[in-house]
Order: sequence, then structure tokens, then C-alpha cells
Amino acid sequence: MSMKIGVYICECGPNIAENIDIDRVIDDISNSEQYKERELIIKRYKLLCSNEGKEYLEQEIKENELTHLVVAACSPRDHDTTFINICKKTKLNPYLYKMVNIREQCAWIIPDKKKATDKAIKYIKSAINRVLHQSVLIEKQIDSNPNVLVVGGGITGLETALSLASEQRKVYLIEREAQLGGKTAHFKKLLSRQGDKSSIIEEKIAGVEENKNIEIFTESKLENAVGFLGNFEITIRNINNNQSVQERTVGAIIVATGYTLMSAKKLKQYAYSEKDNVFTALEIEDMLKKDGKILLRSGNEPKSVGLIHCVGREERGYCSRICCSYLLKIINYLREQSDKISIKDFYKDLCLPHKHDQEFFEQIKEQNVDFIRYDDIAIKRNHISYTEVGGSKKESDVDMVILAPAMIPAKGTEELSELLNIQLHETKFFQEAHQQLNPVATSIEGIYIAGGCHGPKGITESLFQAKAVSGKIETQLIPGEKIIPEVKVSEIIEDFCMGCQTCMDVCCYGAITYDPERAVCSVNEAICRGCGNCAGSCPSGAIRAKHFTADQLYEEVNEAIR
Amino acid sequence: MNSTDNVLIIGAGIAGMEASLMLAKTGKKVVLVEKLPIIGGNTIKNEESFPNLECSTCMVAPIQQDVLQNENIEVMTLSEVKKVEGEVGDYTVKINKKARYVSLTDCIGCGACYDPCPVTLTNEWEENLTKKKAIYVPCDGSLPNVPVIDPEHCLQISGKKSCNACAEACMFGAINFSEKNEQVEVKARAIIIATGFDLFDAKKITNLKYGKLDNVYTAMEFERLYASNGPTSGELILRKGDKAPDSVAIIHCIGRKELGYCSGVCCMYSFKYAHFVKDKLPDATVYNIYSDICVPDKSYQSFYEKIKKSESKFIFQSSVENIQISGNNGKLHLNLPAGKKSENSLDVDMVILSCALEPSKTSNDLSKILGVEIDNKGFFQIRNDAIGSVQTSQDGIFTIGCAEGPKDIQNSVIQAESAVGEVISLLG
Amino acid sequence: MESKGNEEFTPKIVGYLCNWCTYAAADLAGSSKLEIAPNLTVIRVMCSSRIDFNLVLTTFFNGADGILIGGCHPGDCHYDKGNYYTRRRYAMLKSVFETLKIDPERIQLAWISASEGNRYAEVVNNFTEKIKKLGPNPLNNNPYY
Repeated sequence: MSMKIGVYICECGPNIAENIDIDRVIDDISNSEQYKERELIIKRYKLLCSNEGKEYLEQEIKENELTHLVVAACSPRDHDTTFINICKKTKLNPYLYKMVNIREQCAWIIPDKKKATDKAIKYIKSAINRVLHQSVLIEKQIDSNPNVLVVGGGITGLETALSLASEQRKVYLIEREAQLGGKTAHFKKLLSRQGDKSSIIEEKIAGVEENKNIEIFTESKLENAVGFLGNFEITIRNINNNQSVQERTVGAIIVATGYTLMSAKKLKQYAYSEKDNVFTALEIEDMLKKDGKILLRSGNEPKSVGLIHCVGREERGYCSRICCSYLLKIINYLREQSDKISIKDFYKDLCLPHKHDQEFFEQIKEQNVDFIRYDDIAIKRNHISYTEVGGSKKESDVDMVILAPAMIPAKGTEELSELLNIQLHETKFFQEAHQQLNPVATSIEGIYIAGGCHGPKGITESLFQAKAVSGKIETQLIPGEKIIPEVKVSEIIEDFCMGCQTCMDVCCYGAITYDPERAVCSVNEAICRGCGNCAGSCPSGAIRAKHFTADQLYEEVNEAIR
Repeated sequence: MNSTDNVLIIGAGIAGMEASLMLAKTGKKVVLVEKLPIIGGNTIKNEESFPNLECSTCMVAPIQQDVLQNENIEVMTLSEVKKVEGEVGDYTVKINKKARYVSLTDCIGCGACYDPCPVTLTNEWEENLTKKKAIYVPCDGSLPNVPVIDPEHCLQISGKKSCNACAEACMFGAINFSEKNEQVEVKARAIIIATGFDLFDAKKITNLKYGKLDNVYTAMEFERLYASNGPTSGELILRKGDKAPDSVAIIHCIGRKELGYCSGVCCMYSFKYAHFVKDKLPDATVYNIYSDICVPDKSYQSFYEKIKKSESKFIFQSSVENIQISGNNGKLHLNLPAGKKSENSLDVDMVILSCALEPSKTSNDLSKILGVEIDNKGFFQIRNDAIGSVQTSQDGIFTIGCAEGPKDIQNSVIQAESAVGEVISLLG
Repeated sequence: MESKGNEEFTPKIVGYLCNWCTYAAADLAGSSKLEIAPNLTVIRVMCSSRIDFNLVLTTFFNGADGILIGGCHPGDCHYDKGNYYTRRRYAMLKSVFETLKIDPERIQLAWISASEGNRYAEVVNNFTEKIKKLGPNPLNNNPYY
């Protein structure tokens, strides 16, 4: 079919019509040598984005059997979608259309009418030349697998599995320990604002075990995961029985591998050994669960306890958010045990960001606790040396020291990040796709993060993240629906590719792979986001960034510098 | 308005908009109700948002545009929910929709109507730092980019005097003085409350002299002062004295004791302000007066350390309630009784009060209309902090973002995504 | 090799602007009705990292007097890190220009965010003035090209 191009200039009321001599534009382009051999229609219309305007355009496309379309009007950021929809309605491929901004970037910024008109003519000719070199691009549809893999069987992983599992969506849950439950299984009680939900972890474990849509792999690890959103091939290996390997296909992967506590012994100001009465908060929880009381190693009750916040905070470079709250909970445990214990709480800043945290702190303050704000602190077994803020150096001997060490990513986080090609933040927790707007996604589409592995947080925030991941998957990976990837992707022309892999290095999404046998790279169109960085980097010019090819850009530019 | 609408979302801030887009993507119909004439909430009042100081407009504008262009989202600005009846799966909601007097479909946002208007008013959206006409958009870049007329002050609509100035200037016939307020009925199967926050009123702490001494500012006033689309195009000029400040004190925790909770975000935005001041006025001296440093995200402490190291002097006060501010020869004198003796007074040109985040002023009434419990701080209550659900005391009604409790943008978006999951499960 | 500045000279400048930030700033400058020199032609790309050597050199060899590349501020790139690569390529381009004995001031990189309409206008107007002073593209009159 021969090319027939329609150019429509919107007057935008007086906004364009008053500042640009549209008749001259039409005249110049109609009589231009450039388009002598072309079938070109050029018309003007009062307001193309109005209902009448849209109908007019639809009619024009059909009646004139246009194959290409240029609309000269306001900014594509305002109305590109409007005209793309008209293209779709009239079956004119939306990639054979271009919108030219002759309002914000012409009429409104060039007060001289003659200059503005000259510019408008240039822009429209540019667009015509570009459009004639544009290619039909068709949206693809990819089958997707709705099942998901959850890595980590702590509270976050369990909640995610329970939220997502259904008849239409199977969940595979991997946990490296023999039992599910993660850190929460160690807690005697939750925070007071979380009410009497201490059996929460047992409930979730039971829920997961009973759910026939969840397949659990304990004492296992994720060995391999290859693919993209909708289509990941995963391999699960049993840690005890190396021969036992299972394969599954999923559409999404959720990383919920949690945290561990930093070893305070690594810090030189915390000098103690396993024989001393120095415990981490987690050890106290374990002790309570086992013995029902907080006791010294001798089996006696402590008469004095020193609790220390912010252990390792400065060295790690971040606050772990939840320690102030859980230390207050431990003080509560101590007071429930006895109101005679002398309690000294050493803190740097009180981190109480939840709306009910401060209330709890005020309650604890009433319970005869010595709160001491410190500038620096050190312990030698159960001897504490500290400088109080605005005060002098002091010493204190206590029967028991309880530490709140920094929360750090669980062991194996780095390996997992390499395996899945997802990035780590400078604190070594996983990096979210966007700190504010996309906090549970990663730079790899289809891989999500939630809970302690995303960053230090408590159960409340972990559960919200689990639910958020679930919400995202429910909207992005709908059972039975196909996935429509980006259309304006890059493609590598193999004949020109020298296999230097520069494009692989620059791609921020891992969309490019190298085939060592053929020594060429190729783009996975399902992952490519269409930024064109690879095309910008290729020394051979082997990469075509669809809809932004070199030819198309040259045609657009040449008119400007003619 | 027909009755096939599925989800009602109250509040078009970042949380409400994100939830709308996600639900719309799955084919659900959303009615997004917003009391202001524009969408975007509080986030669009910031030039930059912490921790990476990303341009808020760049961040939010594509979201606002997506919301306005999405076929599955019906945006109702200038609207408030007045009555709710029914139960989960079948709510009937009555919405009061105020007249805009300007057609959303005919107006193309050329702005020709502003100049001719003879009535000038104070612009509350700009924290009363600048003026607007009776026909106005709150700021440059407002979306929808269609003005609204203030009916009380417009001469024509209030009947004070016959005036047609804006209508005559409009080439598109978009102005209609006879538009009426409407009551619209909407059916919804689920409701999401995303009404956000208001800042604590610093006037309540009288010793800080906000409202009495000109160069004492609230956080929101400073955000608008710094904004490149704000009243001074981003120039930091003092209200009194018309010059740039040489020294600025930023006081944290304003309202924390009165309200009984820490808002979790004010320290970070206070550091942001220190950075803003040094950015525009590199020779100025900045002080951050704090009681506890709250930096609860993995990326926040490094920002704090950067500001502490090279941009601001930090002064500790065990409590900020007893700080006294007085005027002294054009400067502001601060009495700081609760810290080091050597730091018990300070003289600066400008004070910024980092105020706590309170529930939106509409929360109390809205909670009664919806039959939903609010907690002892006035925020909407979710059933329990350990179940991961954002459902309120009422089945089928959810609450997200700062309506549920003060939080940063990240956690508001997380709750929005969480609510979407719950709504999808609920509606099947 | 560079010719002297000419008062009558109207430079032809090409601006490669990224869709998410700089193009939006250009729109904002437009809707604020700021006056911007008409010499710059805007070419929209999805990310400033799309701009490759060939494109810039060809643009220059075909007669452009100046080239402006506009992207998001470091850290704000819509495609994660694209603009960092732009920065590296720009540094290389500068040195290539020097090798070709073309004034490297003829190419400029600007980080402009979507809310900086005023700044966009300033950058374009200042760049246009600079190119006016530098004079026409020396390759336009050079018998070798």
C-alpha cells in the first residue's frame, strides 16, 4: 500500500492560531519540493482534542485512507494518549504517528510571529520526515505463569504465601532451616500495641502447612532462577540431600530472607565472652521461652540490669528502627518478673516512629527505670563505662547487660543478590526499585523484596510489605492474562555485533545476554524498558532502539540543521 | 454517575493516587474523591523529597497525569463524602460536589482569565504567602490545569456586582457562572480512606511566637518559600526585612509532647531544610535544635550524618516546649533552657518550626460518616498492628497513608499497595 | 580554525532532551510563556543515554553549530542509571571534539528537572548566546568536509 500522510495543525483556539501564521505553514509545506513525490494532506482545525475534533480526525483518517499521521498541536505530554487512541480506533498503527509540539515549544516561547512560524514549519517538516521512516510496531503478548516463589519462611514469607495462594496461583515456599517461623518464633510476646497476638507465628505456620496450594521446601535453598516476569525457571536444592533437586516454573519471585543480629563482639568497645552475663535481646527472648524467666547463667535472678541501645549503629551507618521498642518490651518483661530489679536503660536517641510507640515509652517511664542518654559507651563484661550527654564520664556495674545490636541482612544475602541479579543498597540490604514510589519491587521486573531483608523493621511494617507485594502481584500477574511488554525495545543486529558486551555492562535491567557460541549479544524484549542506553553505547552501531533508531533521529534532526 | 462503580477512594494524595492506578489496571472502576480543586496532596508542595532529594514534581506529575487520563478512574475534585449507608460490597455514598464554574472539558488551561479578574485574595494553598485572583489555580503546574472560582468572593457569583471579566477573556466559553453545587450518589463495594495529614498548628505553642513574630515560619511555609513554582520562585527572602537570612534555626519536635507521639518524618525534613538553606545561601549558618534524632529507614542516617558534618550545627534540647522566642532588633532571640549551658541562647534571622503531622481536619467528621473508629490520636484505626491488614473497624473500609498514622512516602505507598491486595481479594 | 563571532549569524542548535525531565521542563517554560531563543530545535528521546557518539558527530558534521544534551539530575534518572552513562559519553565527546580541533564548548550537558522551567529557559538562552559568540560551525566552510 502506498504511503499517504496526513498532517493536521491544531489552532488550539487562539493559542497557536494567534502566534503562528498557519496558512503560511500549510502553503509552505504543500508546495515544498521535499514532498512533491509524496501523497500529503495538510489541514488546520480549531481544537483537535475536543470531541468534535477527535471525530473529525477519525473521519479524515478513514476517508483519506491515511497510512501516516502527524498532529501539530500542544505537548505530547498533554494529548499523545488522545491521538494514540484515535489511531488505535482507526487501525492506523500508533507507531506511524507523531505529535509535534508547536504550542509550549514554539508559539508560547517565540514572541516574533514570523520566527515562530518559521520554527513551526521546521518542526512539522521534521516530524513528517521522521514519521516516514518510522516502522509498524506491534504489541506482543506473552503467556505468563501465575505461580510464585517465596524465598524465606519467616513471618514475612509466611504472610506473603498465605495472601497469594489460591486455586489459580500456587506458591512454592523455600526455607533453609528445618522449621518455619524465622525470628518471630523466638519472641515470647509481641509489642503491646500489637496486642495479644503472640500466637501469630504458630497460626501462620499452621495456615501455610494446611494450605494445599502452598508447597513447602524446608532445609532447602534456591539454586538457580532464570527468566523474567511471568516466566522464571527455578531450581530448588535440598541442603541435606545434595542429590535432591526440584524444578518449578513461576511468574514472580519474592525475597523474604530476613535479617540477623550483628555480633557485638566485633566491636572493640564491647568486650565480653559467652561465659559472661551479656546477652542480645534475641537471646533473652529464647531464654524466656525456655525457662519462663530472665536469669543469669548461674540460674539466679539478676538484681540489676543495664540495657544498651544502638549497638553498632554508628559502625553500620543506620538505625535499626525497632530496637528502642523491643528494649522497652524487655524492660516490661523485667518489671513483670520483679519490681525490685534496678534497671538502667542506655540510649542515644529514642526512635519511636509509630503513632503508639511514645505512649508505651511514657508507661515504661512510670516503672522506676533509669533512662540515661549517652554520648559514648563501652562494656567490659558486665562493667559499663559511659559518658552521659552534657555530663561527665561514669561507670556502672550491673548483674546483666542486654544489648540491642544492629540488624543486618541474613547470611546468604549477597549470594542471593548475585544469583537473581538484584542490587544491594550501600547498607547491604536489598535495594528497592524506587525508595519512595516502588519500595517492594527491585530493578528486575518480577522480583520483589519484603520484610527484614529490605531493611530493619518490625513485624507491623514487615506484614504491610508482605501485603504490598501481594497487591502488586495481584495487579501485575493475573492468572490467565497475558503480559504486554514494552514495545519500543532495542534489538541487536547480529551481523554488526562484535560481542564486546558493552551493551550488557550498561543495561540497568539485565535485559541483554551474551551467547558465547555465536559470540553475539541479544536483547530479551520481555525485560527491555526501551531507554536506549545500549544503543547509545554500542561501538558497532549494531543496536536498533525501536522508534528511536539512528535513521529516524537523523531525519528529525536534519531538517533542523539544513 | 451510574451504579457500577466498584471502589471509592477518599483523598487524591500520593497514597490515594497509587491505589487508584493499581486498581484501575485490573479493570476495577475507581471514584477518587478530593476536596481540593487539584490532585496531588501534600507531596506536590515539596520541591524535593527526602532522602534522595528527588524533584517531587518530576516524581508525581506522571502519576497525576496517569490518574487524570485513566479511563477507569473518575476523579471528583472539590468533593467531599457526606453520607454513607450500606455494608461491605454494597455501600451507597452521597458526595457533595462543589461547583468549579469552569468546564473541565472545555478549558485548555491557557490562563487568559486570571489577569482580567478584579478580585484579589490570599492564596491559602501557598500558606498565605502570596495572592491569587477569585478565579485561580493554586500554583503553576497544578493538575488538573483548570481554574476554579471562589464563589464567596467572586463579584458575579456572590451577587455583589455584575462582572463578566473572566468569561469575556475566555476563548472557549469554558466559564459558567450558573453552575450549581451537586449532590452525587455513588455505589461502591469497598472504600479506601486516604485523607492524609495536616500540620500541627504552631500557634498553640505561644512561647514560639508563630504568627506574632514575622520571621518564624512553619515547615509548610518554608516548603513553599523554597519551591521553584512557589510565591518567591524559590528565593529565600524573609517576610520582614525583605532580605535573605544570614542564620536559620530549625526546631524539631514541635507538637510532639502536645500530641503524644513522634511523627517519624520531621527530623528528615528538618535536615532537608538545612540542606535547602545551604544550597541557596552557602554562607548562612544553620542550626538544628533537636531532642531525639529519628531516622528509621536504612537510607536516612547517612543523610543525617552528611548534614551534621558539613551543613548544620546541632543543638540538643531535652525538651523543646520551654524554648522562648523573642524579637530583638530585627533578629530572633531564642532561649534554650534544656541543654548545655554554653548553648542556652541563640540569635538568628529566621526560625523554621518542624511541626508534627496530625490527622487531616476532615478525619473526625469522616469517621462518623463512615462509622469507622479513630484512635486516641485522631487517626483512623486499623484492627491490629500485627495482622498486616489496613482494614478499619468496618468491613470493606480500609485506611492508608498518613490518614492511618504519620509516615513517610515509602510507607504510605506500601500501605496503598497493601490495601489494593486486600480490596482485590475482597471483590474477587 | 574557528571563525570569529558574527552579529548576523543565527546559530542552528540541536537539543536532545530526555522525555521525563528536561522535555517536561521545556513544556513548563512554555506554559509559563518564558521567552526562549528560537535557535534550538528540540529532539525528544526517552533517555539522554540514547545519545551516542555517531549521532552527535553526524549532527555536528551536517551543520549544527551547537548541541545541548538534557537529562535528569544524577540519581533521578527514570531508567535508574542512564544519565550516569550520558555523563561519561559526554566527557569522551568533549575530548573527541578537542582532538578534531572543534571548540568543546559547542557541546553542553545540562541536568534539568521537570519543575525547573526557568532554569531550562536560562540554559537554552545562555547556550545560544555562547554559540553566537563562537560563530558558525567551522566545518561548514572547511574544504575538507
